[in-house]
Amino acid sequence: MNQLILTVIAGSLFVFPALATDDTATNSVEAAEIEALQKQVQELGQKVQRLEQQRESEQQAVTDTNQEQVHELDQKVRILARQHELDKEDAAAAAKTRPQLKLDSSGFTLSSADTNFAISLHGLVQLDSRTFFADHNLVNSGFLLRRARPIITGTVFHDFDFNFTPDFGGSVVQIQDAYLNYRNRPELQLEAGKFKSPVGLEQLQSDPYLLLNERSLVTDLVPNRDLGVELHGDLFGGAASYAAGIFDGVSDYNGTTVNTDSDNDKAFAGRIFLQPWKTTDVNALKGLGFGVGGSYESDRNGAAGLTPGYTTDGQQKFFTYAAAVVANGQHWRISPQGYYYYGPLGILGEYVISDQDVRNGAAQADLRNKAWEVSANWVLTGEDASYAGVTPRHSFDPRTGGWGAWQVVGRYEELNVDKSAFPTFASSTASASSAHAWSAGLNWYLNRNIRLNASFSHTVFAGYTGAAPAVPAQAENVLFTRIQLAF
Amino acid sequence: MKTFLKILLALSLVVTAGAKEIKLLNVSYDPTRELYQEYNAAFAKYWKAKTGDDVAVAQSHGGSGKQAFSVINGLEADVVTLALAYDIDAISAKANLLPADWQKRLPDNSTPYTSTIVFLVRKGNPKHIKDWDDVVKPGVIVVTPNPKTSGGARWAYLAAYAYALEKYGHDDSKAHDFVKRLYQNVPVLDSGARGSTTTFVERGIGDVLLAWENEAHLALKEFGADKFEIITPSLSILAEPPVAVVDKIAKRHGTLTVAQAYLNYLYSDEGQEIAARNFYRPRNETIAAKYAANFSQLKLVTLDQEFGSWAKAQATHFADGGVFDRIYQP
Repeated sequence: MNQLILTVIAGSLFVFPALATDDTATNSVEAAEIEALQKQVQELGQKVQRLEQQRESEQQAVTDTNQEQVHELDQKVRILARQHELDKEDAAAAAKTRPQLKLDSSGFTLSSADTNFAISLHGLVQLDSRTFFADHNLVNSGFLLRRARPIITGTVFHDFDFNFTPDFGGSVVQIQDAYLNYRNRPELQLEAGKFKSPVGLEQLQSDPYLLLNERSLVTDLVPNRDLGVELHGDLFGGAASYAAGIFDGVSDYNGTTVNTDSDNDKAFAGRIFLQPWKTTDVNALKGLGFGVGGSYESDRNGAAGLTPGYTTDGQQKFFTYAAAVVANGQHWRISPQGYYYYGPLGILGEYVISDQDVRNGAAQADLRNKAWEVSANWVLTGEDASYAGVTPRHSFDPRTGGWGAWQVVGRYEELNVDKSAFPTFASSTASASSAHAWSAGLNWYLNRNIRLNASFSHTVFAGYTGAAPAVPAQAENVLFTRIQLAF
Repeated sequence: MKTFLKILLALSLVVTAGAKEIKLLNVSYDPTRELYQEYNAAFAKYWKAKTGDDVAVAQSHGGSGKQAFSVINGLEADVVTLALAYDIDAISAKANLLPADWQKRLPDNSTPYTSTIVFLVRKGNPKHIKDWDDVVKPGVIVVTPNPKTSGGARWAYLAAYAYALEKYGHDDSKAHDFVKRLYQNVPVLDSGARGSTTTFVERGIGDVLLAWENEAHLALKEFGADKFEIITPSLSILAEPPVAVVDKIAKRHGTLTVAQAYLNYLYSDEGQEIAARNFYRPRNETIAAKYAANFSQLKLVTLDQEFGSWAKAQATHFADGGVFDRIYQP
């Protein structure tokens, strides 16, 4: 358009002078025409200018609008990014206060974000079978629900731990543990309630980690759970531990525990256990631990202060005091004990003396019963043996070729009743004066939670003079199996 | 001479051995970081000279409401230096950590310095913001924190509301509408004043920041007067951020005496100078006159004048279901 106009203008610049050479007559007409044309050109020029200005301002307006839109979009993007940033900050702040839920092989745990409050649910179920051989049908073979425990533990206000464990296994529903532990420092803790008395090494070992189905004869002489208050702690990073408490006092091992005290007498129990190389680099000795536990009470609690009877691995009584015998004063126990774990090897040994004053009518005596045991185990698949069980490196799963962990175990044990107990305080026609047993077994840890085991235990008795059939009249031969779920 | 030097050395060891190291926690609102960084160093020097003891003051900063909530829930503050009295009242009422009449214990209602709310805009003021009416216009993006958590945000809200009350003859419905239009222009709510400064200055969001006066000056100082400018509205609110010792915690820590001295020193000449240098309006008239050039002249209304009390203002505007909840839809 502009070029056309310019051409017209340029052309007219050449044309107009040519026309000027005409004669005068036509000059005035031509002059008028020229003036008109000049005026037209001027107007066209102004129009072009206006059109150019309009185009520039339109372009500017478009640019301004685009810039405004870009700015708005930029702001929107920045706002979205900032909102996202703030949402992330809020989420991070909320995560710090959100309760944590954990479910894994160690059970179910719900805790506050700061872990000052937590509650955990664990469990232990043991389904056993006991098959007795050559027992003249004296004892029933069969299955039993040995333990069925929901274990509720937790923490309140960071330093206070609690445990409540009922047991629905066996024939008696009972409360195994119910205690509160104040744990401000690991070196100094205060525990109160019902819990294991700090004496026997094997007794203190947690039930899921026992090598064989039943604890040894040694445990017949140590206290089970008791009600009391105990000061305890771990020192030097766990290289030493101690426990000292005052309790109601319980008889030599009683499978059924009580929740009240039947007398004014109290028992003192304590234990020191050392693992001097635990925190060192001396690998061969890291797993060595030894110590001593003991208890003392002055027990004039009548029959309640005496053991209900010493039992075999098959849980059959082979010794009881005569019906009229009562506790009559001091009862002390001492138990040197130790273990050694190194790689797949584990050895545990314990010796117990239970010395108790008894009375039968006018007759009194200070009877000293003794027991000892040594057990050994070897994890065939190479995992480490420990006081706290075995963790398979590869859980059982045929799809991945994992076969869990396998462990062979063996134990020898003896319990000797004080010969002075016979005949005044115990009858040889009803009780044996000693029992010796050996056991061997195979444990299969499918994973951290499930274990199968099978073992055989052979117990022989001495000092029994009664008639058969009776438990001490012949050796006890028991084949045990167990399916265990623990979490 | 040698003997004398030995005695001197021994004495200095005794003195040093006797000197205590005292720790305080000052839980403060969001924008006071620079103020207390300078103040804490000055107080430590003063206390060392006076008693020989070393004082280390740890700081916690955040939206005033959030900080009060933290103290109520267990944050062990020896002193609180928050944006508004209501937040400290809440600590007293809900956690019983200091007496209800705490505000009477220090001069000027326990507020050693005051502040106000101004506008921070981009250099050249492209949206031509001169007063509150411009802030509520459609198309203006406003940055201000969340009044539910930030003390500065509550002061800003009340400043806008006070302007609307003055403009519309104390007609509350028109004032509601005014602040509603204001918050329609707010796209992002940070939890505290410092977060809003970050949003406006560093993230480049918005046309105007409703800022604590000191925050606005700090932004100019830190980011350059060639990028931002301060616009003083015709009317704003006299913000009175109070300070208080948290008695129960200070007693438990054994820091009561130092904590009291720490707050008292804010009223000293040095404390007032530090406040003024950090763009807080000092209570000391002589020092205020010395730093008058730092502060804009504007009509300042007080909370008590316009709203009665913090309790009433909180209940009416910021409590759940209050005016703010009704006007602001995220």
